[in-house]
Amino acid sequence: MKLPRLNLREQPLPGGQPLAFGIGLAIALFVGTLLLLGAGHDPVKIYSRMFEASLGDPDAWSITFNRAVPLGLAGLAVAVAGSMGLWNIGAEGQIMAGAIAAAWVARIGGDWPGLILILMMLISAIGGGAILAIGPALARAKLGVNEIITTLMLNEVAIRLVQWLIHGPWKDPDSFNFPLAPMLPDQARLPTLFSRAHFGLLIAAAVIVVASVAVRYTAWGYELRIAGSSEATARYSGISLPTKVLTVLVLSGAIAGLAGGVELAGTADRITETISNGFGFAGIIVAALALMRPSGVAAVALLFGAVQIGGQSIQTLGVSSSVSTILQAFVLFGAIGAGVFSRYTVSFGNDSLPVNEEATS
Amino acid sequence: MRKRILALLALLFAFGMLATACGDSDSSSSSSSSSSSSNEDAETEAASETKAAFIMVAPIGDAGWNYAHDVGRKYAEEATGVATAYVDAVPEGTAEFDNYVKDFINQGYNVIVGTSFGYMDAMLALADEYPDVVFEHVSGYKMNETNMGNTFGRMYEPRYLSGMVAGSATSSNLIGYVAAFPIPEVIRGINAFTLGVQAINPDAQVEVVWTSTWFDPVVEGDSAQALLDKGADVIAMHQDSTAAGEKAEAAGARWVSYNTDMSEFAPDAYLTAPVWNWGPRYVEIIEDAKAGNYAPSAYWGSMADGIVDLAPIASDVDQSVVDQVMEAKAAIIAGDLHPFTGPIMDQDGNEVLGAGEVMDDGAMLGMSFFVQGVIGSTG
Repeated sequence: MKLPRLNLREQPLPGGQPLAFGIGLAIALFVGTLLLLGAGHDPVKIYSRMFEASLGDPDAWSITFNRAVPLGLAGLAVAVAGSMGLWNIGAEGQIMAGAIAAAWVARIGGDWPGLILILMMLISAIGGGAILAIGPALARAKLGVNEIITTLMLNEVAIRLVQWLIHGPWKDPDSFNFPLAPMLPDQARLPTLFSRAHFGLLIAAAVIVVASVAVRYTAWGYELRIAGSSEATARYSGISLPTKVLTVLVLSGAIAGLAGGVELAGTADRITETISNGFGFAGIIVAALALMRPSGVAAVALLFGAVQIGGQSIQTLGVSSSVSTILQAFVLFGAIGAGVFSRYTVSFGNDSLPVNEEATS
Repeated sequence: MRKRILALLALLFAFGMLATACGDSDSSSSSSSSSSSSNEDAETEAASETKAAFIMVAPIGDAGWNYAHDVGRKYAEEATGVATAYVDAVPEGTAEFDNYVKDFINQGYNVIVGTSFGYMDAMLALADEYPDVVFEHVSGYKMNETNMGNTFGRMYEPRYLSGMVAGSATSSNLIGYVAAFPIPEVIRGINAFTLGVQAINPDAQVEVVWTSTWFDPVVEGDSAQALLDKGADVIAMHQDSTAAGEKAEAAGARWVSYNTDMSEFAPDAYLTAPVWNWGPRYVEIIEDAKAGNYAPSAYWGSMADGIVDLAPIASDVDQSVVDQVMEAKAAIIAGDLHPFTGPIMDQDGNEVLGAGEVMDDGAMLGMSFFVQGVIGSTG
C-alpha cells in the first residue's frame, strides 16, 4: 500500500515560512469567503469584524492575550512532553487539577496578603497539575504503560472531582443550593496589565521562554531530544530513560496545572467545571502546529487565540457557531499548515526515502 | 523518527479536531439556520438607538429553555422594532460571557439579557462597569439599584396544573420526575407538581431522579429510563432537552414536558407542559430602556401576567379532567387558588403549613424540603 509521507526538504522553499504563511492564509480566506457567501453573509464585513475583535485595538489585543495564555501554557505542556516523543493528552484534566489546587489555597488563605496568596495559589496549581501527571508518568517510566491512554482517562477523573467539590464540600452556602463555589476573594485576582489583559501573560511568556531555552540549549534538553529521536542512542549514551520520562511527564503536568491556576486567578470568578474550557485539547493542536517545539508555541497560541476570539465575535453578527468554527479551522490550517509544506514534501510509497533519514532529521 | 512524529501529528490533528467538534456539536446542530436577519445591518445604525442582545447558555435548538428565550427575543424584536441579536452555547464561569457582552456593547447594544443563573456575578460586575447599559438577568437573585434587575416567573402555578393532568393519567400511581439540580426553583416545581397530582389522585407518588445537568440528552434519557423501569408510567421533567419524552414514548408511557410545547417530539406520550412565555416581559424591559426609564426590579411574574402558562392538553385526556384543570387555572389567575395552601406536610409527615394558610414568597423562594408524596431526597 502506498501511504503519503512527509519528507524534509533538502533546502527550504525560496521565501520560506513567511511566504508559505501568506499563501496559506490567502487560500484559507478564499475558501472561507465561499463558505460565508454560501451561508448568506458579507465576507468583507465578517472578516473585518474578525480582525477588529481580535487584533483591532488594545482592548481586542487584551482579550486575545487572555485567550492565548491558557492556550500557550497548555500547548507548552504538550510540546515539552512531545520533545521527548511523549503524548500528554491529559492537559485538560491537569488544568482542572491546577485550578482545584489554586482554589483550595484561595479558600484557606482568604485573608493572606495578595502577593503571598497569589504566589501560593500558583505554586499549588503547579503541584496540582504535577500530581495528576505522576500516575501516568510512573506507569510509563516503570511499566511501559502507554501514557496517551492514562493521561486521557484522568481528564474524566479531574472533571468529576470538580463536580463533586462544587456540589458538595465547596458549595457556597449563599448560593440557594446552586452548585457554585464561592467567588474568589479580590486579592486572589491577578493584577491587570492593560484593558482586560492580566498578569498571566507575563507568567506564560516567561515560562515559555525558560522552557524553550531549556529544551534547546541545555544538556538536559539535549538529552531529552536524543531520547525522543532514538531510545537506543539515548541508552548507549548513558541517559536514564525512566528518570527522563518521569520528570518530563510530571513537568508537562505541572505546566498545564499552572495554566489552570493562572486561568482561575486571571479570568474566572470562581472554580467551575468549565474552567479548562477545552484549552487542554486545544493545547494538543497548538503543540502539533508548533511541530512540538516549545519555542514555536507562543506564536501559534497567539494566532490560535486571535482566530478563536475573532471567530466568536462574528457570532454577534449572526454568523452561526458552526460556520464560525469551520472558518476558524480554515484559517488555522491554512496559515500554519502551509508552513509545514514549505519545509516538507509529500511523497507516496516506501522506496523513495533516504536510508539515513533518522540521522539527518 | 520525525516521520513517525509527523504521522502521529496528523492523527492528533484529527483527534484534536474531533474533540473540538464534540464539544461544539450541540451548538453546530442548533444555530445553523438561526441568524437574525437584522444583526448585520444593525451594526451601522446610530449608537444612540436601543439594541438588545441575548446571551444563552445552551444551543437555542434545544427546544427547551434557550429556545423559549429565543422565541421571546423574536417576539420582542417584532413588537418593539428594536434590533436584537443573540449568541448561544456560552459557558458559565469563563471569560467568554464577558467577551461577548463587551463585544455587543462595542457594537452599540445597550440592553443585555443573560438567561442563565451562572452569569449572575459576571453581569453584576459588568453592570457596574457600563452604567449606561441595561442588564437584565433571568433566574438569579442579585441586582443593583441603577441598571441591573432580574426576571423570573412563578412556574409553580402551571406546574401544579400539569400535575393534575399527570395524576389523572397514571395507573401505576408512580410518576417519575427527571430533575436537574436540587435548588429551590426545581424543588418548588416538584412540590407544586406533586400537590397537583394529589389534587386529582391522592394515592399517586412522584419519584425524583437528579441528573446534575440542565442539558444532557443522554443523562436525561437514562434517568427517565431508570424511572420507567421502576414502574413509572408518567414522566415529568425539569430539564432542557426532549430526551425524557422520547424514552417515555418508546416505553408507551406518558410525558409532561417543560419550557415549551414539545408535543411533536413524542406525540403519543405528550400530555401537556408548563411553559415559558418571555416575549411580553422582554418587550417591557426594552420599552423601558428605550424610554430611558428602566428601573431595576426583582420581577417574579405569574400566570396572570402571562410569563408562564400551561400548554395545550393532549386530546385523549378526559374532558372532565380538562375541565377541572381549566377551572383551577382560572382560579389561580383570579387569585382564588394558590398551589401552596395548607395543610402541607413534608415527607416525614410534619406539618409545614397550617390549614388554610398560604405560603409567602420568601418561603417559596428558599424552599428546600419535599412535600409528602415525593420519593427522593433534596440533597
